[in-house]
Amino acid sequence: MRLPLPALVRVRGRSMLPTYRDGDVLLVVRGVPPRPGRAHVVRLPPDASGRPRPLSVKRVTGPDPDAPERWWVDSDNAAEGVTSFDVGSLSGDDIVAVVAGLVWRTLG
Amino acid sequence: MLSLFRITDVAAHCDLPCGVYDPAQARIEAESVKAIIAKVADNDDPDFRVRATIIKEQRSELVKHHLWVLWTDYFKPPHFEKFPQLHTLVNEATKLAGASGTKGEFDAAKADELLAKIDEIDAIFKETKKA
Repeated sequence: MRLPLPALVRVRGRSMLPTYRDGDVLLVVRGVPPRPGRAHVVRLPPDASGRPRPLSVKRVTGPDPDAPERWWVDSDNAAEGVTSFDVGSLSGDDIVAVVAGLVWRTLG
Repeated sequence: MLSLFRITDVAAHCDLPCGVYDPAQARIEAESVKAIIAKVADNDDPDFRVRATIIKEQRSELVKHHLWVLWTDYFKPPHFEKFPQLHTLVNEATKLAGASGTKGEFDAAKADELLAKIDEIDAIFKETKKA
């Protein structure tokens, strides 16, 4: 296993509301196994026309009931965002980092 | 790659690029509009006519919505280059679904014109799917 490595990411979009807002800066840790229940930085599969999707922040809700070695991801904002309901579960390799916490948020 | 010394943007996007598009959505709503116009012509009940008017306006608005989604999300610059009439076509079709068309009037001919425009858009859509 790789050494746990911290990194910084900035949230873009509204799919993780109310937990994370657009512009929030998060401390994330790479090289650790997925932790169900926590938000993660994930790699989503390409869209229907084959264009890659950007690295995304999603909540890993747990193992895929139909494939226990894979992970089910969801947005916190039920109204928005690409989730496993759209793209299926993700392999462990596509769970890039776990969100450790919020380090900075714009006031207001 | 992710780093502690550089802030990487991660998406939490509102858009759901599901990639499912079809002018059939607009056509079904336009067919409802046409059927409502026919039903109102045969019915003098004022309550029915009020309901029909409201529903016809909603369905007309949905026709516009579905055409706009195709126009903004599905069709790409190469499509507009290959089919230069597409902008005008979408403009004319959405106008036909608007206040001067099926939304504001009870004119079956307008509904037929609208369906014909949607068919033209559909023909282009099917061409782009072949490529």
